[in-house]
Amino acid sequence: MSAKRPPPDPIAVLRGHRSSVMDACFHPSRPLLFTGATDGELRVWDTVQHRTLYSTWAHSGAAGVYSVATSPSLGDTVVSQGRDGICKCWVIEEGGLSRNPLITFRTSAYHFCKLSLVKILSCIMETHQNSCQELLPEKAEAGLNFDQHESVNVACKEKSVQVSSLPTYGPRMMATAGEKAEVELWHLNEGKRIMCFPHSSNSGCTGNSAKQKGLCMAVQAFVPPKSHGFLNILSGYEDGSMLLWDARNPGNPLCSVKHHSEAVLSLTVDAFCNGGISASADNKIIIYTLDYQTGSSSVKKEITLNRAGISGTSVRADCKIAATAGWDHRIRIYNYRKGSALAVLKYHSASCNAVSFSADCKLMVSCSEDATSALWELYPPSA
Amino acid sequence: MAKDDDGTVSSPLAEVELETLILQKVEEVSSQIDSAKHVDQVICALHSLAVRLFPIDSSSICGIFPTISSKVLAAKVPSDSERDEWRHVFYHSAASPAMYRMLIYNVTSHWLSSFPPIARKQVYDSFFIEGPSTEIIQILVPALKQNGSTDKFNFEAIRLNIERLLVLCLLEKEGVHHMVSKFDLQFAGGRNVGELLKTDGSLIISRAAQFLVSIPDRATLKALPLLSSHSFIRRIVIQLLNGAEERTLELYSSVDTSDATPVDGSYFFVGEAFSRICRRGSAGEIFLKDMQLFNLQFQNNCCCLCNHMPICVHREIQLSMKYYARIMEAMKDQYAVERLSETLLRQLSTKNTSEIEAYWVLWVLFNRCFKHENSLRAIFVEKFLIWKVFPVCCLRWIIQFSVLEHAPNNEGSTYPKTKNFFDVVQRLVIVWSKRDFVQSAHVEQQAYITAAVGLCLEKMTNEELETTKDLLSSILQGVSCRLESPIHLIRKMGSSIALAFSRVVDPANPVYLEDICCGNIDWEFGLVSLAKKQQEAYKISTDNAELKISKSDKDPAYFNKKHKNIKDNEKNSKIQILEARKSVLDESIGPELRNNDHIDAKYVSDVDSNHSESTSDSSLQPYDLSDDDGDLQNRFSQLADVSAALRKSDDPDGITRALDVTEKLIRASPDELPHSSGDLVQALVSVRCNDVAVEGHEDSTEERRQRALIALIVSCPFESLHVLTKLLYSPKVDISQRILIIDVMSEAAQELADTTFVTVDQSRSLISSVSENQQWFIPSRHGPLGAGPWKEVEEVGVLSWSHRYERVLPSRPGQVKKGKSRRWSLGKTRESPPNQTKNRFPLYAAAFMLPAMQGYDKKSHGVDFVNRDFIVLGKLIHLLGICMKCIAMHPEASSMASHLLDMLRSREIAHHAEAYVRRSALFAASSILTALHPSYVASALIEGNQEISNGLEWIRTWAFHITESDPDTECSTMAMRCLQLHAEMALQTSRALETAGSSSHRVSISPSMIKDIIIPPSTR
Repeated sequence: MSAKRPPPDPIAVLRGHRSSVMDACFHPSRPLLFTGATDGELRVWDTVQHRTLYSTWAHSGAAGVYSVATSPSLGDTVVSQGRDGICKCWVIEEGGLSRNPLITFRTSAYHFCKLSLVKILSCIMETHQNSCQELLPEKAEAGLNFDQHESVNVACKEKSVQVSSLPTYGPRMMATAGEKAEVELWHLNEGKRIMCFPHSSNSGCTGNSAKQKGLCMAVQAFVPPKSHGFLNILSGYEDGSMLLWDARNPGNPLCSVKHHSEAVLSLTVDAFCNGGISASADNKIIIYTLDYQTGSSSVKKEITLNRAGISGTSVRADCKIAATAGWDHRIRIYNYRKGSALAVLKYHSASCNAVSFSADCKLMVSCSEDATSALWELYPPSA
Repeated sequence: MAKDDDGTVSSPLAEVELETLILQKVEEVSSQIDSAKHVDQVICALHSLAVRLFPIDSSSICGIFPTISSKVLAAKVPSDSERDEWRHVFYHSAASPAMYRMLIYNVTSHWLSSFPPIARKQVYDSFFIEGPSTEIIQILVPALKQNGSTDKFNFEAIRLNIERLLVLCLLEKEGVHHMVSKFDLQFAGGRNVGELLKTDGSLIISRAAQFLVSIPDRATLKALPLLSSHSFIRRIVIQLLNGAEERTLELYSSVDTSDATPVDGSYFFVGEAFSRICRRGSAGEIFLKDMQLFNLQFQNNCCCLCNHMPICVHREIQLSMKYYARIMEAMKDQYAVERLSETLLRQLSTKNTSEIEAYWVLWVLFNRCFKHENSLRAIFVEKFLIWKVFPVCCLRWIIQFSVLEHAPNNEGSTYPKTKNFFDVVQRLVIVWSKRDFVQSAHVEQQAYITAAVGLCLEKMTNEELETTKDLLSSILQGVSCRLESPIHLIRKMGSSIALAFSRVVDPANPVYLEDICCGNIDWEFGLVSLAKKQQEAYKISTDNAELKISKSDKDPAYFNKKHKNIKDNEKNSKIQILEARKSVLDESIGPELRNNDHIDAKYVSDVDSNHSESTSDSSLQPYDLSDDDGDLQNRFSQLADVSAALRKSDDPDGITRALDVTEKLIRASPDELPHSSGDLVQALVSVRCNDVAVEGHEDSTEERRQRALIALIVSCPFESLHVLTKLLYSPKVDISQRILIIDVMSEAAQELADTTFVTVDQSRSLISSVSENQQWFIPSRHGPLGAGPWKEVEEVGVLSWSHRYERVLPSRPGQVKKGKSRRWSLGKTRESPPNQTKNRFPLYAAAFMLPAMQGYDKKSHGVDFVNRDFIVLGKLIHLLGICMKCIAMHPEASSMASHLLDMLRSREIAHHAEAYVRRSALFAASSILTALHPSYVASALIEGNQEISNGLEWIRTWAFHITESDPDTECSTMAMRCLQLHAEMALQTSRALETAGSSSHRVSISPSMIKDIIIPPSTR
């Protein structure tokens, strides 16, 4: 076999941050990219022109931006989280963000867990609304303030069928780690804690086991198919174990598995919510499947790395490829279905913090401690 | 003397009467010749005797000389039986010598020239042709001796005539062949050689052989070409062999038993003749004819050989070539036998004889002698194996014939080995393993014995190895002392033996100590091509100023590798060999383990194939997944960090990273460099690159370390040299580190010497400085504008005594250029000003050289340069030589040279046992010769500086001594070059003295002084 082609270089490098870029995410429908750095700056980039559109000191310099997140269900809103536990919701306006956050609320503590918005399978959107209302009958309706038509129009410009079908409403909730190894569910509109896993009422018996697991390090909220819109949450812990929770039964996890030997740093669920990818401080990446019937999770593929430490993972919306951001400055691309390695991307000169795909599957962004974010074009979808 | 019975039976009385009658007749003829006035009378007189002895056609004589026809025709022609009787008596009486003397001297000098050819043939030559060649030889050959001419005889004519007669009798009439058959008639019978030797007969035979063989020596230069040594001996050899062959057929047609050994005179004669031929250095002629014969024989017998039926071969060959064996038996002269067999071997090797053929040739010729005579055995086993050098194919035959003593076979079936075999192997190995032998024997000799040992080893089995006493330890000793050698070829010999040895011990697990890649070991070690190359190189080397040693050692990477190999090998060779042995013992466990491996491999391959299947169908083609972690390490930016990291031996990554940046950091020459340099030097020297480096990257790591050290020396010489030279003699470092230190010092010296600057224009400087790049002997650049640079012109002669230069000059104003070519345009001579280099080295020369020299002969704990670590000593001397080259033509050279000369003159260096050290010393001496400016030498002479002048004279005598007596060819070549340099220097110095003498009359040097001190005649 002849020599393989060399791995690609980034199509653009976004410079401008003055300190380590902690997180990045694409706008679900518009060519926008949000990045947050440890000095508290939140930037909005144009992914076509590759330049900064807007910058704001979203969080205090000491806290920094720890996480930024968008979701189709949130529409033109972006959520940022500081290391001090303060979360802010920003409205995306023409030419940037709103001057002041829509809402600011303080979650419980200073921790190492990035927040997670709720991932929803597009085909179950219809039932979703109802289920949300079932789940949270008195609060869920409050979130529908956005003009549905506007976002659909924008989406049509993108000529993406998938995106255009997305409604801009959804469970405006986020999950994050709370105190004492708990996972908390917050409502974004009101900035209030809704639930807590394990449920605080019967934390007596499970508290001990949770303590042994250590702090919650990663969390992913999603609405699986056939769950009638009920929220499920995956949470990863310091000792490498992973729990699957069902919002209907906050007292006990659906299943508990331990794939890793070190703290789980990142958990991702794919677009079909049938499985996902998890990474930890050890030298393993696990591609797992979820079985809701039996309430179990099994390892589909275990990838062993030469150098330990993966701080971020992401699965592309078409579930073809997955990416990891490593402490070893590398972005690694895997065939998500088979788990085989596809590329090792070397650009960053410092530890990588996060990696994220755009909703249209065309772009990927990686961000790193070297204060840069890089845009990549990998295996463009054939459609 | 026994009288033969070929003539008619006659009574003794009749014989006596006949004898007196013949004597009378001879007397009569003699007086007739003496009194003869005309040639007719002489012919007539001779005819009267000849007609009674030989059948002569008288009528032909009558036709020419009608005057005597009546007399001639009147002579009574006797009957055949009568004539035989007469002849028999004539040759056994006193008459024949008298007659021959008369024929040779009297007739020849006065009359023979006027004989007509027919008459000469009839009445003169008949006496010689018809007579017995044994007698004739004894008469003719001594007569060749006499020289000059008296008034009585014309010796010139006599000599020419004798030569003619010899050719006639011996060559044309096959007299030699007759002699062979004659002797067997004389000495046939049941007597053995011993008895034969005691009798007079043997003396006669020896003398005849001696006369025969000495003919070419006695013949003059003007003699016929047939008598020249080459062709004469070739011809008589053919006759001798034919005679012997005939004799053999005669003998063996009757006697069928091969063991019956009737020794007879003809074999003895042929043997004697061959011995003498060999002694005269013409052994090659003996086999010339029969090489064809041998080949033919063996082709005929090919089928037999293929079936390995020695008996059959035996018979076949015996009949036709038995006589060779018999001749060999008859040869008693050991030296001649040795020469003969040596020649045979060499001739066989040039004929591309196959191993089987050669074996059978040797077998046929020498088998019987070899079994019965110790002297022949000694020739083969001692001389041919240990003292002489043959081509490797000959060596194989010798071993096959004399050591293994059975026919070669391809199937590898083992013959039981004789005790003799083990004795020989043991002796060989003991000779081979001696350190003295490695040091002092010629390379060819070493290669030869190594090959002998190797070939013997290849024939042995593991059990045989173990049972032979001391063999194992000797081989280990020999291998290890060869692997220590700095000379590549010697190491190769050592590793070849190790390989052969390990193959015997465990064929599945050979030990490859060096880069022997192929399966078969080249026992010639490429010496044939090497010799050729050397000759070529020698031709060139007269023009080539660079000495070979510097060429081969210049490449640091090469030497590192070499030296690392030495080091590793030294340690590992024994272990490896012993391990190989152990593994044989563990063989019972072996197969299962191997099976396990096999299963594993299968499993893995299965998994692999699955894996490849699963990936191949995807549209997602992977990119190149190779990944190095070059960018991951954090960089060092401070010298202090670097030296701290280098000291952490438990962090190999850190050390590698530190080594990566060290050179850059040093070259940047930060302010703190002088302060931290000592620390850094120590850290760099003590780093263990091999432990640190990733497998396969040892070389680059090592190189980085070296470059860092070089940079360090160049940027702050005094501080780092202070530490380095101390470390060089410190007991804490090992050989490799010492060599490293020396290597980096020499590299640094060279770098300091060629520091480059780009300067603007220096051509108009008023004072010519010696530190200029230009050497003193190149003519100055002054001249008309546009003159080209000087170029050296090759001298035509063998030795270039001086340098010749030429340059392109611009045309004079009035000159008109003809020709169309644009190459003659003036623009060509414009050149950009060359980069000026400035030699910064002389400033530091003392710091380099003096501390390095001071303790070479000290022997303390862990430091023993002179004996154990001679490689370090050799490198050290080489370094000093390089330093001398770097300060060439600078004032510092003279002071350094005297110190260096002191060192070289010490006995332990000048006459070191290892050739490597002597080579280095020669290199250093040559560099002294080139480094000294002639004017310094001249001033040293004028001022009476004894050190320099004595030292230079010593170099000359020492180099002379080496050219004459050194066993190492490289050494003698270098010494030759050294002598040449000395002569050139002497010439330049005497020129300098002349100019000094002519310019200032205050200093007067007598020419004798120059002669005495610089060019003392070797006869003094």
